[in-house]
Amino acid sequence: MALGMVAASTVAAQLLYMLTGSNRIGGAFFVGVLVTSYLAGSGPGYAAAVVSFFIYNAYVAMPHFALSSYGAEDVLVLATFPTVALLMGNLTGRLRDEAKRAEARALATAVLFEATREFSASDDPAHIRGRLADHLAAAVRGQAFVLEGAVLCAAGGEAPTPMVLSAARALALEAGAEPRTIEAAGWRVRYLAGGAVAGWRAEPPPGADEENLLQILVDAGAAAKARAQLAVGKADAEARARTEDLRNALLSSISHDLRTPLAAVLASASSLQEFGDQFDAKTRRDLTATIQEEAERLNAFVTNLLNMTRLESGALDAHSAAFDLAEVVERTRKRFERLRGRRTFDCALGEGAELAMGDPVLFEVALANVLENAIRYSPDGTAISLASFTRGGQVVVEVADRGPGVPEDELPKLFDKFYRGAGAKRTPGTGLGLSIVRGVMQGMGGQATAALRTDGGLVVALALPAAQAASGAA
Amino acid sequence: MSGNLGRLLLVDDETQILRALNPALAAAGFTVLTAETGEAALAQLAAEPSEVVILDLGLPDMDGKEVIQRIREWSDAPIIVLSARDLESEKIAALDLGADDFVNKPVGVGELLARIRAVMRGRERRFSAQPRFQFGDLEINFPARRVMVQGEEIRLTPREYQLLRILAGHAGQVVTHKQIILAVWGSETNADAQFVRVLMAQLRQKLEANPSSPELLLTEPGIGYRLSCDDEG
Repeated sequence: MALGMVAASTVAAQLLYMLTGSNRIGGAFFVGVLVTSYLAGSGPGYAAAVVSFFIYNAYVAMPHFALSSYGAEDVLVLATFPTVALLMGNLTGRLRDEAKRAEARALATAVLFEATREFSASDDPAHIRGRLADHLAAAVRGQAFVLEGAVLCAAGGEAPTPMVLSAARALALEAGAEPRTIEAAGWRVRYLAGGAVAGWRAEPPPGADEENLLQILVDAGAAAKARAQLAVGKADAEARARTEDLRNALLSSISHDLRTPLAAVLASASSLQEFGDQFDAKTRRDLTATIQEEAERLNAFVTNLLNMTRLESGALDAHSAAFDLAEVVERTRKRFERLRGRRTFDCALGEGAELAMGDPVLFEVALANVLENAIRYSPDGTAISLASFTRGGQVVVEVADRGPGVPEDELPKLFDKFYRGAGAKRTPGTGLGLSIVRGVMQGMGGQATAALRTDGGLVVALALPAAQAASGAA
Repeated sequence: MSGNLGRLLLVDDETQILRALNPALAAAGFTVLTAETGEAALAQLAAEPSEVVILDLGLPDMDGKEVIQRIREWSDAPIIVLSARDLESEKIAALDLGADDFVNKPVGVGELLARIRAVMRGRERRFSAQPRFQFGDLEINFPARRVMVQGEEIRLTPREYQLLRILAGHAGQVVTHKQIILAVWGSETNADAQFVRVLMAQLRQKLEANPSSPELLLTEPGIGYRLSCDDEG
């Protein structure tokens, strides 16, 4: 490079000399030295300056090519030439070296920036591990790996040998020690946070600047990984807290549902015992009626809890047979006559006997839960509609209330265990009822669905296969 | 037993509880008023002040604790909290807010009536500003700060005396750890329930015939203490 530039300078000087006849052509060589040191750095610049000096020297000696014929002026020019050429080569070369370093720094900053941006965008430790290996490999223009436990992420082609990996594992086990870097078979391995290590290898080995960049990159990766692990831990803790909340809510709800009837029974019974003689006949009858009703309520609740447990353990056995749906609906409705308060029941049961395939006892459990919900959530004085009909080979019973319903996007969650509508906080309940309904209906080969009424309220439909259709298919 | 003991306000959102308790409370001599919500209870109490309030903490429209707070803004009527919630913290919060006692659901009417009598007696005693307190073998002379057991004077440290004084002032009722700490150590303190336990052990040594099975200074586990003043047990 340097020699080529000197040759070009010589050609230019020769042309100038031939055109002007003058040997004051040092300028051409200066340009050559300048360009060389700018393009190739200080070293080649110095070489160009020395070679140019000798060639220029030859020109100065022209036409005689003898040093003895120098005039005073020539000696001055020859004396200044090397100084100026060397200085120029030095300065320009330094400028170029500096520019190169700045460029490398900009690149390093860009790599770091890109890596930290990526790290901070992710909460997934596995993703951060993989990306750190990629960035390390790109930064050293070689191979890199990140090792955590048994998980190895390698990037840049060749994976580390088992020997390197076992050295890396040994380093990883030094958890808690000062983060340090070791060397193994040309790899440099550094301890990351949380028992992970990162290693890299490159030909030629990274320089001091690059090494610094790598350390920063590794530290940023370690910090990101630690943060991601914390985020995962936090999410776990939150999930645990939610489960805990749910369990507490359920427990307090069950405790309330069990204790309220018990409290009424105990209060009534102890009243009768202490004041029985003072009470008139009507009061005594009221109290015994309360005891009976509350004992029944308690029994229903315990039955529901048992059903739920059976559903959960898969021990629910449905005895499928053809049964008269309307009869079960009537029976269930009568059970709720006392509980309905000032709500009315509108019954529109399909004409004729509609035979359904299923277990009448389980169907009554499902329908009772739906009815209880309808009563619980609908205001006094409104009507609850009960309808049964045949639709597409199925017998359907619909219970429609004038309650608040649920937000449309929560309809699918209505049958989930422990689901309670946002507006249901003020109404006691466990969120068990409708999940039992769905479990029981599915256990009999039927379905339970819910929809919102256009004019307000909720309609729950219980569908079972029609007995005729079933026998027809057989 | 009967005879008019005045109005009693029974607040519970479960109608079967109202139905079950009403006859016995009436037979015991109360004119029973009922309310199913917090708002209704506050309105009822403002319209016809009651001698005693029995309040369920789990009401549909507002937290029972808020009802206590609102009642205490203007009324000193004794409040007995009746709740299925067996959460200690709920009871403590209710007592700290000014409830006089609590009863866990389910409860027999016998125990409920005994608690009602106790809070009403305690109320009378506190507002009649008597200089002396006497129950069983225990006698306290407040102006002279003298405590006697079976006619013999007992020497108490100032803190032991303060503890006895606050319990005697609420005889028959639960006093929470927090209320005791406030009365004995003041508000600027880091004293906790453990301090109260130690102080109580000292006081029992001096006042109880058998300190390991106290008959006078009773423990309400996890909540506080009560000075017995019920001859019926």
